[in-house]
Amino acid sequence: MLAMIVKEFRQVGRDKRTVAMLVVMPVVLLLVFGYAASFDVDEIPTYVAGVPESAVAQLPEILVVEEIDPNGTAGDAADKLVAGEAVVGVVGDGSSIRIFIDGSELFMAQAAVQVALVAESQNPAVSHEVLFNPDLDTSAVLVPGLAGLIIVFVGTLVTSMSVVREQEAGTMEQLAIMPFKPRDVFIGKIAPYFLIAAIDIIAVVLIGMWVFDVPFNGSVLPMATGAVLFLFVALGVGVAISSISQNQAQAIQLALMTVLPQIMLSGIIFPLSSMAPAVRWIGYLLPLTYFNLVAKGVMLKDAGFGDLAFPLAVLALLGVVIFGAAVVRFSRKLRPAKTKATA
Amino acid sequence: MSAIQVVEASKRFGSKLAVDQVSFDAAEGEIVGLLGANGAGKTTAMKMLLGLEEPTDGQLTLLGQPASDVDRRHLGYVPQGLGLYSELTVRENLQFVASSYGVEVPDLSAAGLAEIADLQIAALSLGIRRRVAFLAAQCHQPDVLILDEPTSGVGPLGRARLWETIHGAADAGAAVLVSTHYMDEAEECDRIVMLADGREVMSGTVDEALEGVEVVTVGDLTAEMTSAVESSGGTPLFSGEEWRIVGMSMEEVHRVLGKDARAQRAPANFEEIFISIAR
Repeated sequence: MLAMIVKEFRQVGRDKRTVAMLVVMPVVLLLVFGYAASFDVDEIPTYVAGVPESAVAQLPEILVVEEIDPNGTAGDAADKLVAGEAVVGVVGDGSSIRIFIDGSELFMAQAAVQVALVAESQNPAVSHEVLFNPDLDTSAVLVPGLAGLIIVFVGTLVTSMSVVREQEAGTMEQLAIMPFKPRDVFIGKIAPYFLIAAIDIIAVVLIGMWVFDVPFNGSVLPMATGAVLFLFVALGVGVAISSISQNQAQAIQLALMTVLPQIMLSGIIFPLSSMAPAVRWIGYLLPLTYFNLVAKGVMLKDAGFGDLAFPLAVLALLGVVIFGAAVVRFSRKLRPAKTKATA
Repeated sequence: MSAIQVVEASKRFGSKLAVDQVSFDAAEGEIVGLLGANGAGKTTAMKMLLGLEEPTDGQLTLLGQPASDVDRRHLGYVPQGLGLYSELTVRENLQFVASSYGVEVPDLSAAGLAEIADLQIAALSLGIRRRVAFLAAQCHQPDVLILDEPTSGVGPLGRARLWETIHGAADAGAAVLVSTHYMDEAEECDRIVMLADGREVMSGTVDEALEGVEVVTVGDLTAEMTSAVESSGGTPLFSGEEWRIVGMSMEEVHRVLGKDARAQRAPANFEEIFISIAR
């Protein structure tokens, strides 16, 4: 038995990726998620319009005022909420104060409602309205994020395993000497996963709408644009992982290292504003963070291209960089090496 | 012009020289065997030829062009791993390859594979899988056929059948480069190139290789005598009836074992030649 234990330790020790998984990852995960895993809301980005500065100063500390517009209207506040620039809009018209709350930011909205209820009990002129997700339904917030998770799962995990399987089986070499251009192999390889992920997203959204009554208030085009851009990023990550993995087990390990942070730090489960600043910045680097903004924006807030310009631009940038790098790396594997022609 | 031409090709992986200035060629209709033990450099040489590995030095051409330029429709390749999709059936694998080359799916009945056409590759024996891989590699009638250890792990009957197929391809005009570590398969080749530790140690026909090479046979060897032979640089091999000593002359055998050893000269077989060259 001792010999078996010694052999096992030696095997594990020789596999650097497994060592990283066993030793480094738990520490990193503990630190990162320890700072991330919080539903406590300390700050709510707030837009203030038509409210005297003296009144602004009396707002509770949790409402962090990002912008004050003396001439702003309720419509302006709604626009800010749609664009994701604020979660709460405080709008005064001289005689009353209305508090608009973005219900798509579930935990911040719940905290904001508590603040609003206290304010209403102290001042009858104050009233509040929860927009986009009036009942503060959890499923309404989770379903758009789930669509993103499916893209990550199919695009990154399944694709990376599929490409590595070709390498393991030796079929990649066979493809390299067949009359295909590297581009043809690449497109042929990822196109099915692209389609599967697209069908999955449609299914998740439709089931979410029919079974969980999740609204789809926006138009399909910005949602589809965001999904396609995000899919390119996820597929690019998947292919990149496959190009540095020697077998499927390694591909799964690496894919999980990219998938787990996206689940935990993209704002789908824990609000970004509740995370420690350093961890929050990791979230800002993750593509799912931006797809989540797009999906929630379209489905719950009827956000259009103008409102979603920033997350769509980030996804496009990440898509070009990551997918482009994956194409180059993949093509290099399939392109015949120079063999120095005879004179 | 040879369909396959390799001139002083070398490949270095870090500090390891896997292939060291190897040269060989193969004409249309010719079967050239790359022989050598595992790790001799056979697969690396083939991969360089196909453009799957970049050579450190040397020149390698297929049909007069470097692998990067040659029209891949002229090439057929069966890698050691066979390059088949184990989740797909025999028919589906062949359909994929045939449609990639723009040719008809091979006749499975003629190939004796009709009964297993709808079985997944994973469910088949290694010998059958190799036959399917051969059929796939030849479905577009390539001018150059490169086969990496095509008979490895296959029983005698299966090996004979695969060699029939290889001869069929050569008879149809293909230049065939085939690697093997079975020395008895050398006789199936028109010419052989023997590799040891990445170096070319012999090149020519089997007859040329066998010509004039002898071993010394002795009736019996004790354990002490076997050790004495080995420490003198010889390799004793037991053939079932007698001991055959490779790498020592009659005089050397007499000196080590004494005149009473009843030593006799005998023509070497191919395995013994390989041992003698590769030592």
